[in-house]
Formats: sequence, structure tokens, C-alpha cells
Amino acid sequence: MTLTPLDELGPVDYIVVEFPAGASNFTGEMAKELVALVDAGTIRVIDVLILTKDENGSVDAMELSDIEELGELQRIETELAELLAADDVAHLAAAMDPGSTAGVLIWENLWAAPFASAARRSGGQLIADGRIPIQAIIASIEADDDTDDETVGA
Amino acid sequence: MPMRAARVGRVGVIGHPVAKTAVVAKAVTPGPAPVAKTAVVAAAVTPGRRRRRI
Repeated sequence: MTLTPLDELGPVDYIVVEFPAGASNFTGEMAKELVALVDAGTIRVIDVLILTKDENGSVDAMELSDIEELGELQRIETELAELLAADDVAHLAAAMDPGSTAGVLIWENLWAAPFASAARRSGGQLIADGRIPIQAIIASIEADDDTDDETVGA
Repeated sequence: MPMRAARVGRVGVIGHPVAKTAVVAKAVTPGPAPVAKTAVVAAAVTPGRRRRRI
């Protein structure tokens, strides 16, 4: 493991990807794409957990190392930092539906680290960040289209 | 399956229960086909396309 100086750390994000009961179709495609991002130096995977929530709402957390055939993910598993604590599991699982399985992925955006570091050296402080959902972009465009239609029809 | 010992008793990083985002529910409601929506979004983020009206 290579230690990253705090000042050179890129932004760290997480996602929880839910697979409703009976809806999962694991072909290895996700693992392949994740490994490609790591190999390209785009991201560094910090932590991975697989959560299951039963119909009673009870949550079980499985480590990546608990999976027998990791395949390409083996390399990633050996570099995990296990950032998440037990409390985090409960917090993340709150978003899950009963009967579902979810993958939790924590990663560092290596691609953003040099810019973030430069911004800090320049005296900047991050005061807001976020993600714009594709659905929000669609809604904005559709609202524009509606406005244009009304203007034409006026 | 018991949680790995290293994860127990530590201060977490998430801080609060996570809610399922509303946009997820919207994404699975009936509407235009995803392919059509993808094309619309791609057009919206095309370099040089400016749509701001302030």
C-alpha cells in the first residue's frame, strides 16, 4: 500500500447500488469496468461492501474477501483500506428496500487530486459540491422545451 | 455474518442514515425510453451549447 499525503488526496465519493430481489445479472461486466478505472489511474478503490437486507429489515454485510471467486477484483481487494465502520453500514443500508442486495463502493477520484491540491495551495476551500442527476438535466431540458412550445403557440 | 473486527467501535464517515434519492424513483417511472433520454442529455451537454437564461 502506498501512503498518500493528506494534501494530495483526491475527493472521496461513495455510491450504493441496489439490486432488487431477482433483478441482479452479474456477468463480470461491472468488475471489468471497475478494474479498468483503477488501471487507468482514474480512481483508487478505498472500500467495498456487499449488503443484504432481509424482509424483516435485518442487514448483513459481506466483505469482498468473503467472495470465493473474485477474479479480476482480487487485485482491488488487496488494496482496500476498510474505511467504513459498523455504524456506516447501518446508515447506508437505510436506503435499501427489504429483500434487496446492494454494493457499496468508496473511491478516491485520483483524476481530481492535482486540481484539488492546487486549489488548496491557492487558498481555496471547498464549500459545496454535489452531483447533478441525469434525471435533473432531463427535467430541465423538458421544461425548456415546454416553455419554447408555449412561446411558439402564443 | 459478523462484521470484521476492524470495523467495529470506530467512528463512521457517513454520519447519518442515507435516504433513497427521489431521482431513482423518477427514473423507473413510465416515460420516454431511456435511449431517447440519453440522446437528449447528450445534446444538452454538447460543448458549445449554451442555454443559460438569467
